[in-house]
Amino acid sequence: MESARITRRRFLRDSARAASALALSAWGLQAGQKASHAQELTFPVERGASLRVLRWSQFVTTDRPIFEENARRFTQRTGVPVRVEYETWTDVQPKAAAAANVGSGPDIVIGFFDEPHLWADKLVPVTDLAEYLGRKYGGWFDVCPQYGYSPQRNAWIAIPIGAPGVALNYRVSWVREAGFDPDPARFPKTTDEFLRLCRALKARGHPTGFALGKAVGDGNTWVHWCLWAFGGRAVAPDNRTITINSPETANALEYARALYETMIPGVAGWLDPHNNRAFLAGEISLTNNGISIYFAAKNDFPEIAQDMNHAFFPVGPVGRPTELHLFSQAYIFSYTRYPNAAKEFLRWVMEDTQYGRWINGMLGYVSHPLKAYTNLTVWRSDPKALPFRDAVARMLPHSYAGRPGPEAARALAEFVIVDMFADACTGRRSVRDAMRAAEDRLRRIYRG
Amino acid sequence: MTRGVARLLTFQLPLAAFLVFLLFPFYWMLVTALKPNRDLYNLALNPLWTWSPTLDHLRRLLWETHFLPWMKNTLVISVGATALSLATSLLAAYAIGRLRFRGSGVLGIAIFLTYLVPPVILFIPLSRIVSGLGLWDRPAALVLTYPTFLVPFCVWLLLGYFRTIPQELEDCARVDGASRLQVMRYVTFPLALPGILSCLIFAFTLSWNEYLYALVFLSSTDQKTVPVGLATELVTGDVFQWGPLMAGALLGSVPVALAYSFFVEHYVAALTGALKE
Amino acid sequence: MGRQDGPGFPKVTAGPLQAPLPGVRSGQEALGRLVESHQALGWVMVTPALALLAVFLAYPFALGVWLSFTDSRIASPGRFVGLENFRYLAGDGVFRLTVLNTLLYAGVAVVLKFVLGFALALLVNREFRGKRFVRAAMLLPWIVPTSLSALVFYWIYDSQFSVLTWVLRAAGLVDRPINYLGDPNLARAALIAANVWRGVPFFAIGLLAGLQTVPRELYEAAAMDGAGPWSRFRWITWPLIMPVAVVVTVFSTIMTVGDFQLIWIVTKGGPANATHLFGTLAYQRAVQGGFLGEGAAVAVFVLPVLVACVAVAYRTLRRED
Repeated sequence: MESARITRRRFLRDSARAASALALSAWGLQAGQKASHAQELTFPVERGASLRVLRWSQFVTTDRPIFEENARRFTQRTGVPVRVEYETWTDVQPKAAAAANVGSGPDIVIGFFDEPHLWADKLVPVTDLAEYLGRKYGGWFDVCPQYGYSPQRNAWIAIPIGAPGVALNYRVSWVREAGFDPDPARFPKTTDEFLRLCRALKARGHPTGFALGKAVGDGNTWVHWCLWAFGGRAVAPDNRTITINSPETANALEYARALYETMIPGVAGWLDPHNNRAFLAGEISLTNNGISIYFAAKNDFPEIAQDMNHAFFPVGPVGRPTELHLFSQAYIFSYTRYPNAAKEFLRWVMEDTQYGRWINGMLGYVSHPLKAYTNLTVWRSDPKALPFRDAVARMLPHSYAGRPGPEAARALAEFVIVDMFADACTGRRSVRDAMRAAEDRLRRIYRG
Repeated sequence: MTRGVARLLTFQLPLAAFLVFLLFPFYWMLVTALKPNRDLYNLALNPLWTWSPTLDHLRRLLWETHFLPWMKNTLVISVGATALSLATSLLAAYAIGRLRFRGSGVLGIAIFLTYLVPPVILFIPLSRIVSGLGLWDRPAALVLTYPTFLVPFCVWLLLGYFRTIPQELEDCARVDGASRLQVMRYVTFPLALPGILSCLIFAFTLSWNEYLYALVFLSSTDQKTVPVGLATELVTGDVFQWGPLMAGALLGSVPVALAYSFFVEHYVAALTGALKE
Repeated sequence: MGRQDGPGFPKVTAGPLQAPLPGVRSGQEALGRLVESHQALGWVMVTPALALLAVFLAYPFALGVWLSFTDSRIASPGRFVGLENFRYLAGDGVFRLTVLNTLLYAGVAVVLKFVLGFALALLVNREFRGKRFVRAAMLLPWIVPTSLSALVFYWIYDSQFSVLTWVLRAAGLVDRPINYLGDPNLARAALIAANVWRGVPFFAIGLLAGLQTVPRELYEAAAMDGAGPWSRFRWITWPLIMPVAVVVTVFSTIMTVGDFQLIWIVTKGGPANATHLFGTLAYQRAVQGGFLGEGAAVAVFVLPVLVACVAVAYRTLRRED
C-alpha cells in the first residue's frame, strides 16, 4: 500500500490496485477475471414508469442525436418515456445538489467526479448492474471502482460512464525542428526527456502553455499528473493524514518551475479555453487538452490539424502513468419512483450496441471505462485520436491517495493543488512556502 | 466660437468618451458575431474588423438552438416578474411613505434588510419551497422568486420619489374633493413616473439577466431563459462558440434597449409636461 | 432614511377625512372607510409585498442562517455546532483574503460607478441631437445578460488575444502582452473595470430620472439671483436628487458586494484567490464542496459587511444635508 515505494518494474494495474486496496477489499468483484459466461441481466421495469435524465450538454454535436436515439429505442422497447435535460458540464452539480437536498428532480444524473459521494446516502445502490457490466465487458478499469464504489454504503452507487480524456497536444513540425521524433509512439516518455523537448521548443521561439489559473479541466489535469509523477500526494490512503509537504512534492514543484520557464507569459490566468485559442493561433507549440482543439482545427484550420498530434503524458520517477482526466458517472437518486426502470436505462445505455454507437459518435471526446470497449471503431478510425483511448486505463482518481468525497471535492473545487503549482511557478511563494500553504489548506479541508 | 469650443470640451468629448467606453464591448460582440472562426484566432489580422463577414453564426443561433423559444420564455418571465414586483412595490411604498400607519417605519427597514440576503446561499433552501409548491420547471417559479430581489429595491426607490412629491399637492387635491384612490391615481403616481420607470427598467433587466435561479428551477430545454440556454448549447466543453454566443447576446439585448428608449422619452416627456403646468 | 415622521410632521393627512357617520353599513361605505383609514389601508397595501418576501425570502433566509450554525452537508441535515463555522472561517486565510477583496472591490467600484454615472446623467440631461440614441445606448451594458458580457470581458482580457493589448501595441504604448488575469492586482483592477462598465448605466439612469424631477423654474429663479453653475448644482440639484442618489448607491453597494457571475466566469476567484468574493467562496464551499453549513456561514458573514458598507455610503451622502 505504500505506493510511494512502488518500483518502476511494477505494472500499472498492480500499483493502481494497491492504491485502491481499501475500495477493493470491500468490493469483492474481481472484475475482469471471470469474463466469460456473462448472463444477460434485465431489471423488471415498473408499470407506468417514466424517467428524467439530467446530463452534461454535448462537447461535440454528434453526441446529442445519438444519445436521444438510444433513449428513443429504450422507450420503444420498454414503453418507458425518457426526458433528457442538458446543462453545461459545470452546471450539472448545482442542479444535482438542489435535487439531492430537496428530494425531487431528475431520476438519473450523469455528472462528474465526486458528485455521487457528496450525497451517497441519497442514491440507489447499483452494485448488481456494475458487477454485471464488469463481468460482461471485460472488467472495469482500476480507477472505476474507486469512483463508483462507496465504502460508506458498502455498494456501488454510480455507474462510470467514461472520461473526457486529456492528452498532450503538440505541433508536429516544431517538435521535429526541435530535434525530437514527432511520432506519438516515440514522443518523450520520461519527465526528463519531456523537459528537454519543452526547452528545445522554447529555444526555437515556440513556447509551451499549461494553464495555471482556475481551469477545472486543463489546470487540474496537468498539475496532478506532475505531482503524482514525482510521488507527491495530497493525502494518505486513510483520507485524513495530509502528506503534501514532502520531498516528492518539492521535486514536482521544482520540475514545474523548470517547465514554467518554457511557457508563454500569461498562463497564470488561464482558464480552460485559453490554451485552445493559443494553440490554434500558433502561439504555443505544446499544451494539454481534450480532443477539442483537434476538432476545431479540423473544421477551421486544416493546416494545423495536419500538423498536430497527441501523446500520453510522460512517466515520472514513480515509474507508472499518473494521469488525471475528467471522470463522468451516472447515478440514480433514491427518491425516484422507478429505480428498476432507471437501472434498466443505464444498462441499456452501457450495453455494447448503444454504448458503442454513442462513444463512436463522440469521436474520441470520451473514453470508455470498460475494458472490452478498447476495441471500439472510434479508436481505429483516426490514429491521432489513439492516445485518448487509454485515458481511463492510465488515470488515478483526483482524490488520490484518499477517497472521493466532500473533502476531495472541495480540495478540487478550491484549486488547492493548482494554486500550489501556480504559487511556486510564478514565484509568488517559494517551493517550501507553496507546499506549506497547500498543507495548511488541505489540513483545514480534511480537518485531520 | 468659444462657445463651440466650450461645448466640445464640456459636452461632446466627455460624451464621446463615455460612448466608447460603454459601447466598445458591443462593437466587439458584433464583430465577433460576424467573423468566421478562422479569423477569430488569427493574430496577424486587425481584430477590430472583419473582411469576410459571415452570417453562419446567426444562422446557427436561430436555427440550430432554441433561441427564439428562449427569448419568448425570458420575455414572459421578465414581464410577469416585473409586473408583479411593480404592483406590489407601488402599493407597499405608497402605504409606507404616505400613509405612515403604525409600524410603517419598521416595515420599511425590514423590507430593505431583505435585500441584503445574497441569492447564492438562498437557492438551496429556496429550491425546497419551489418544489413544495409544485413549481419545479415552471416559469411561475421564477415569476414568484424574482420579486425577492426586485421588491426591496423598487419599494425603496419609490419611497424616495414619493418623498420628493410635495404633500401639499395631495392635500390640495383632497380639499378639492378627490378621494384617496383618485389622489393616488391622478396625482401621486403620475408624479412618481420617473421612479416607476426606473423600477421598471431595473426589475425587467434583472429578471432578463438572472442566471442561478433560472438554472436551478427550470430544466427542460424549451423552458430555459436566454442566458442559461445559450450557455447550455453554445459552451461545448472547453470550446466557447463565440460567434453564436455573441450574436445571441446582441439579439437578446438590442430589442430591449430600443423598447427602453421609447419608454424613457415617453415618460420623461409626460413628466416634464405635468410639472410645467 | 425616509422616516421624517418625527415631531415636525404633525400635519399628517388625516385632516380632510371626516369620520364616516356611524350606522351606515353599505359595502361601499365600508370600503370607503377602509380606504380612508391609514391603519387598515396601510396594512392591506403592504400585504402582497410582505407575503411574497416572507415566503420566498424570509423563510429560506431563516433556513440559511440556521444552516450556518450547523455542520450540515448537501442532502444531510447536520447538527447544531454553534459558532464553530464562524470560528473556523475566522482562522481561514482564504476567507480573510476574501473579506479584503470584497471591501476593495465594492469600495472602488461603487465610488467609480457613482462618479461616472453622475457625470453621464448630467451630460445627457439636456437637449441635443441624438439624445434618444445616446440614452438608449448608454443602457446597453446594463441590459445585456451578465453571463454573456462577462464572456466578452473574459476575452478582452485574454493573455494573448486581448484587443486592448492589440490597440495599445498599435499605438506603441506597450511592447508585450499584458497579463491581465494572471497578476493578482491587475486581475482585481480588470474585474473592477468590468463591474463599473456594467454598473454605470444603473447609476446614470437612476440619477437622470432624479434630475428630471428638478423643476426648471428653480434653476431659472436661481440664475436670476445670480447663482453660478456650481451653486446651482450644490444648492438645487444635489439636495433634490439626494434621496435617489442614496437609494441607487446603497443598492449598487449591495449588488457589488454580492457579485457572483462576473467573477465566476472571468477568473473563478483566481489567480490565487485574489478575486474571490463572498458569493464565489460560498458557492465553492457549499455547492461544489458540499459543505453547506460552512458556505452558509460565509454568506451570513456578508450581512455585517453589507450593513457597514451601507452605513458608510449612507452617512457619506447624507452628511451633506
